[in-house]
Amino acid sequence: MNTLLLKNFFRSKGLMIGLLFLLGAGLVSLHIGKLFLDKNQEIIEKTAHYQQESIARNVKFHPKEIGLLLYYVRFGLVNEMSPLAGLSMGQRDVHPSLQSVTIRNLEEQKYETDLMNPMYQLLGNLDFSFVLICFFPLIIIAFCFNLISEEKEGGTWSLVLSQSSRPLSMIKAKILIRYASVLSVLVLLLVVASVYLHLPLDAALLAFALTSILYVSFWFALAWLVVSFQKNSSQNALILLLSWVLLTLVAPATINALTLHLYPVPEAFSVVLESRDGYHNKWDEPKEPTVAKFHQHYPQFSQYQHPEGKDYSWLWYYAMQQMGDDEAAPDALALKEKLQKRNRLSSIVGLFFPTVHVQLSLNALSLSDMDNYLHFLEKLEDFHEQKRLYFYPKIFTEVPVVSEKWAAFGLEYYREKVEVQWLKMLLPLLIITGLCLGWASLKFNKNGNEENFKLS
Amino acid sequence: MRINTLKLLSKQVWSSKTKNASTKWLIGVFNAMLFFALTAGYQNLRLQQETVEHYRHEVRERWESRPDKHPHRMAHYGYVAFRQRFPLSFFDFGMDSYLGNAVFLEAHRQNTVNFSEASLSNGLLRFGEISAGMILQLLLPLLLFFWGFDLVAREREHGTLRIILTQGVSWQELLLGKSLGLFYLALSIVVPSLILGFILLVINPLSLQESQVFLRFLGLIIGYFIYFFVLSVMAVWVSAKAKSSKSALTQLIGCWLFFTLMLPKLSQVVGQTLFPAPSKIEFDTTVEHELIQQGDSHNPNDPHFKAMKDSLLAVYGVDSTHKLPFNYSGYVMREGEKLSAETYQKHQAALVEIYQKQQDVVRFTAIFNPYMAIKNLSMALAGTDYAAYDDFQRQTENFRYSLAQTLNELQIKLISNKVKSSADKKAVISQKYWSQLPDFRYHFLTCTAVLKHEIFSVISLVLWVVGLSFLIRYFFNQLNDF
Repeated sequence: MNTLLLKNFFRSKGLMIGLLFLLGAGLVSLHIGKLFLDKNQEIIEKTAHYQQESIARNVKFHPKEIGLLLYYVRFGLVNEMSPLAGLSMGQRDVHPSLQSVTIRNLEEQKYETDLMNPMYQLLGNLDFSFVLICFFPLIIIAFCFNLISEEKEGGTWSLVLSQSSRPLSMIKAKILIRYASVLSVLVLLLVVASVYLHLPLDAALLAFALTSILYVSFWFALAWLVVSFQKNSSQNALILLLSWVLLTLVAPATINALTLHLYPVPEAFSVVLESRDGYHNKWDEPKEPTVAKFHQHYPQFSQYQHPEGKDYSWLWYYAMQQMGDDEAAPDALALKEKLQKRNRLSSIVGLFFPTVHVQLSLNALSLSDMDNYLHFLEKLEDFHEQKRLYFYPKIFTEVPVVSEKWAAFGLEYYREKVEVQWLKMLLPLLIITGLCLGWASLKFNKNGNEENFKLS
Repeated sequence: MRINTLKLLSKQVWSSKTKNASTKWLIGVFNAMLFFALTAGYQNLRLQQETVEHYRHEVRERWESRPDKHPHRMAHYGYVAFRQRFPLSFFDFGMDSYLGNAVFLEAHRQNTVNFSEASLSNGLLRFGEISAGMILQLLLPLLLFFWGFDLVAREREHGTLRIILTQGVSWQELLLGKSLGLFYLALSIVVPSLILGFILLVINPLSLQESQVFLRFLGLIIGYFIYFFVLSVMAVWVSAKAKSSKSALTQLIGCWLFFTLMLPKLSQVVGQTLFPAPSKIEFDTTVEHELIQQGDSHNPNDPHFKAMKDSLLAVYGVDSTHKLPFNYSGYVMREGEKLSAETYQKHQAALVEIYQKQQDVVRFTAIFNPYMAIKNLSMALAGTDYAAYDDFQRQTENFRYSLAQTLNELQIKLISNKVKSSADKKAVISQKYWSQLPDFRYHFLTCTAVLKHEIFSVISLVLWVVGLSFLIRYFFNQLNDF
């Protein structure tokens, strides 16, 4: 009988179109991902070249004072993209993956955004994670909503009952064939992706694949559960579509609205004001307190003093810049903590919604989530601090500009290590899939005797 | 066409649907969702408006309380402008979350507008946001299709279609009557939300400063009425054309998916590919290269500025810039600011044009996609579209430019030409000048400007109505009866 079911499946035009649609949309999304990765690579290469050029030009223009030169010189730090970001772009199109900063006040430079057409951010990317999270379930719903009801409504159900002692196993075979076919498309897409996007075969990719497979399994389990209620086709379709709307549109948006509502961030505005005043106001104040505060921050530089009676010194200038960061620090920290809280809340609430959970997990694996951005910001602070510590003594002792090998300052790279939290990632999906299957089997057992099957 | 028949038919749709408990439930759920979305959106808007007001005053206070200073120091102290939200933005969030909110305005430099909601949230935003606009544009059509798919198809399947038609009801009357019934069902969800929206608009004290919001709200009402009328007719039309009610449902849901999820994303990919936009680094580099070519005000041997100096010396008949009767470095800075702002604005305009072209690709799909038409129109009327943002950016840049130039003028006039550095006691001017400089006040786009930007969406909605009337008039009678 199973070969017949298989034949039937392959002959069904609608099902084949569904699979081809998934394959097509998946391939398009992979190409979009590839373009995204290439564009990022191009930006990095251009910036690397431009940084060299710009440093050389500034050295030519400001050959006398290293303090003045470093007012202009920018150093770039790249937040390396994982090739998986081609599959799940996450926030990578909102946050820049490369920041170039001078050694001046960091708070005024840290939050700079890239140029982006907001219409695209609004409409969203057609990346693989979108195809997986939104399109796969729809096809699964279309494949499964009338597993039993189709036979009943088509009048073939009595035939099935009369010819098979266990009608349930036929239905099971039907859904398993569909499951296998959708899974093969998914695996095929992942294989194509790993070749096309040069994905390294590592734990992150494995976790990515497993999460995707479990997500698809969840939707089959949900469809199986709905089928087990043995309602008519349009009721099944309605229930499944409502679940889809709820899980892919309403729930994530509600969680998002909740996090924004619980943790508003006025700090984002105050950070701007504090860092601006922290620096600029020092022009109008006596120089000694500024320099004293600077010495307090960096005791190792106490030997360098502002020359008395002088209007200006680079020590004082960079001390003022430092105050911009120091005075904005409490707000910057509060901002960071709020963002972490937002993140934590949504990932905890998300555990209960497979769509949300999968999106956040895939973004985390692809280093395109909020956490990665926050880590990058921390790294950027470090990077900036290292540059300061390196150049401060040189500025204060006014070493000649030529004594530095400027050409050696290329882009630096930060690559976050992906830590796969297997349990946290997979367990919620396993549990919810298991629950659906368990409930469904209870339902089937209750209706399992042929009496009920016939009656319904 | 007889009005009474239409009334009868639409009433019949209404009563047969509302007899069903699930219909009442769905109406209730949708109204509750809209209530939640509107009130939450309104609260957020008020919070945001209050925050912006608070920091706006803070910026002004800090600005005015700066001590006596050299004007150019003040130009670098700069201003911070915050994006104010339009009082109607709670109805349709549009792009609001992806647009920056704060920008630091200083001399010589155009900073980016930072801190968009998207940059402060994690990936969930990308699933979309729940606003009244989103529910009405995206979710309610799905519900309408569920209600509408069997309106004619089922009559046909049950054999009642023949009876109705033989009783003298024409196809036109049947379809229009059924569509009206479906439209009334939609109104049971749309109208309460519009009333609530109106109340929230009225109680917002900031709406009263912008009397055009009411006109724009009227535009929203008309737009959404047209949208739902079009969808109702579409649903009934598909139901009449389809072989079975099942096939009608599949077709309608297929259309919904294609038009709301697939097409917008696909068209944006096409737009991005056809009109590639530069990245920030490319943009900055191009601007910088052009500025270097034009002239560097910091370089004494630069040809542009040298020529300027020579002609000034000749006009005033002096041999050194120190002998000029005004502050020369202020003069140079004014010239530099002019050049750099012109260059920046030229490139910014080119960038905006690329963005517009990209968006036009998406916008043009409105001709065959009423969802895109209402989405763009609603966003524009709610003041959350790109045109509004572009206008904000332009106003901040104009403010920045005039602030820098006013301060340059003050320096040219009031600062002695002989001071060596800005720290010199003679190099400061009184702080009373600070409060004379205007505050940044954001002016929202006018109704006319908004409609001009979205004329295409308006036209496509009108075309949809005209097209469907045409369909009703000439083609509805050619349907097969059975």
